[in-house]
Amino acid sequence: MNIKEIARRAGVSVATVSRVLNHPETVAPKTRQRILTLMEEMDYKPNWFARGLNFNKTDTIALLIPNIMNPAYVEVAEGVESVANQKGYTVLLGITEGEEKKERKYIQTLIDRHIDGVILVSSLLNNDDLNHMKQQGIAVVLIGENSDNSPEPIVRIDCCAAAYQAVQHLLNSEHKYIALIYGKAPAMENKRKIEGYKNALKEAGIALRTDFLIREENTIEGGYVATRKLLALKKPPRAIFTSSDLLAFGVIDALRDSELRIPEDVAVMGFDNIRMSSLMVPKLSTVAKPLHKMGLSGARLLLDVIESGRNGDMVMKEIILQSKLKIRKSCGHKERIKEIF
Amino acid sequence: MKTNFLGLSLKSPIIVAAGPWNRDGESIRRSLATGVGAVITETIVSDPIIDVKPRIAYDGLGAQNIRLFSDVQIEGWEREMDIAKSNGGVVIANVSAHTPSELAYLAVKMEKYGADGIELGLSTPMGVDLEVVASHPEEVYEMTRYVVENVKIPVMVKLSQNVTNLPRVAKAVQMAGGSAVSAINAIRCILGVNIQTMEPLLPTYGGYSGVPIKPLGLASVASIAQTVDIPICGIGGIDSYKNALEYIMLGASAVQVGTALMIKGRDCITQMVEDLDRWGEENNINNVKEIRGKALSKLKSFEEIKTDPLTCHVDNQIPCITDCNMCIEACMYGAVSRLEDGGIHIDPQKCTGCGLCTFLCEPKKLYLKW
Repeated sequence: MNIKEIARRAGVSVATVSRVLNHPETVAPKTRQRILTLMEEMDYKPNWFARGLNFNKTDTIALLIPNIMNPAYVEVAEGVESVANQKGYTVLLGITEGEEKKERKYIQTLIDRHIDGVILVSSLLNNDDLNHMKQQGIAVVLIGENSDNSPEPIVRIDCCAAAYQAVQHLLNSEHKYIALIYGKAPAMENKRKIEGYKNALKEAGIALRTDFLIREENTIEGGYVATRKLLALKKPPRAIFTSSDLLAFGVIDALRDSELRIPEDVAVMGFDNIRMSSLMVPKLSTVAKPLHKMGLSGARLLLDVIESGRNGDMVMKEIILQSKLKIRKSCGHKERIKEIF
Repeated sequence: MKTNFLGLSLKSPIIVAAGPWNRDGESIRRSLATGVGAVITETIVSDPIIDVKPRIAYDGLGAQNIRLFSDVQIEGWEREMDIAKSNGGVVIANVSAHTPSELAYLAVKMEKYGADGIELGLSTPMGVDLEVVASHPEEVYEMTRYVVENVKIPVMVKLSQNVTNLPRVAKAVQMAGGSAVSAINAIRCILGVNIQTMEPLLPTYGGYSGVPIKPLGLASVASIAQTVDIPICGIGGIDSYKNALEYIMLGASAVQVGTALMIKGRDCITQMVEDLDRWGEENNINNVKEIRGKALSKLKSFEEIKTDPLTCHVDNQIPCITDCNMCIEACMYGAVSRLEDGGIHIDPQKCTGCGLCTFLCEPKKLYLKW
């Protein structure tokens, strides 16, 4: 069943049927109702892909995340979907595995499919890639920085300040030997976390030990391996800060295997505050990243960009959200001044 | 009684405060129908969370609430605002967030959806932190400025009494370009403990509101009025038109009512609006500006208070309430006694003119003079 058949049976032109679909207010109510009833009877569904070609709009957006095994990205995705769905958009999901090549390939596919816009989470693409997409009429929004300091609308937190705060908390709990385990991805955000870590140590007058900085895969296993490396040092750390909660889970696992107590022997501080972090034993102290809210805000900005083409509204360039220290049991705090809720 | 507030001409200075009674378009429309000057939406946030249960406790005087924020996402407010304003009326959007850009985003959207003004909620006494954002003038300045720069409608900032120096925070709002301040927000509290179960009445800290906080609200509004030039919206324990007048006479251009509506329903708001109009007609006052700050000008610093040799006097023509001995029991100076004929006697040598008994005596037979 196609639009021509509907037009023939209704005794109107194809253009009239088309107007019923796209600008129903321009069709006389009686005619409109007759055509709509006919469509229902004939079980007619518009071809959305063809419609996309025609209107340059497919009501489809894409979300590219580095990894789906990391629950942090699932929370982001949930936020994106919830806004998109309310506004009548469908979300396609792509997983880049933190590979630039794969991300670029995805982009080409999305261009070919005429999607309206894309949200890139911790993107590895440069600004030329982003411009290419925009030239193809695809709106772009970033969640977390790319390496090129892109001018596209972005949702982010201040990773440097967040890491600084976390390390400072460990320092205030009288820790001096603090190691940092950071993931290979997300590269830019982790670079900022390293800065924050270094700033806090420097301010406390503690010399940076390069053997305390370990780069690993951003997984539980990565955290496990990195901890084994740290424990093998002549002077192992008494506190470990990780760039993600997944890494921290690996740290806790490795410390337990070495029969070390948390936090008495080694304190642990994560980053992200994924749901499971409060279910660990001991409960994980971590930096709460507003993951769901980042997803919501990212989708809002993207839909603003898409719709700004029509309504001419200004789109906000940047939403910086607040992260917050979540002090639980794994970091061995004694003072409670800051934590009283 | 009319007022000019936030650059808007309001038909009454009474405004329905942010709260769950203004949770969506329909409830706002009902609040507008009470005849108030404006209605403020329940606090809108970027990531609504599910309400806890229970979340409101009441002890006959004041209420504790741990009701957090609107459960309608910002997307949904486009539709709700259409419904809210379908019969006209002034709607102010209360928005809350943790950073300037997050806050501005919500404000921009609500402006687009038709809000006539923005109220920034920077002082929720629950679920966030021990120190509300509004404790820090610098942060309040940054947040207010960012919002003011991004919207064209007026912006007011809701302040908390949970700070060391409230006028300083109000000053920050003024410097940042805020059009008004509203004060005070609910106060961090624990309403009580159930001594049988040994549990607090509600499971976490909450905001205290209702009649008992009125004196705190009045003092806050007065001290803000003495510091800044921007208009003030008085909030806290307003239960009748008289309380509204108290706030106005201490410097408020408008007032907000929340808990009274929560406990007694919307009819009490209509009553307040009508009573205030009637009072205005009787006293030939058409606009709030004619009486605004009248009591403020009589507020003295401690050093300015004259030490008149006042003592208590009695009008024994007015009968005592049967068996009432409150003035005798309460006199800390032992100056009050009962005469054989049942009247009250004040020993002028012992009375120091503290004034307490004049407030305790219900039939008002005691008074100060010299």
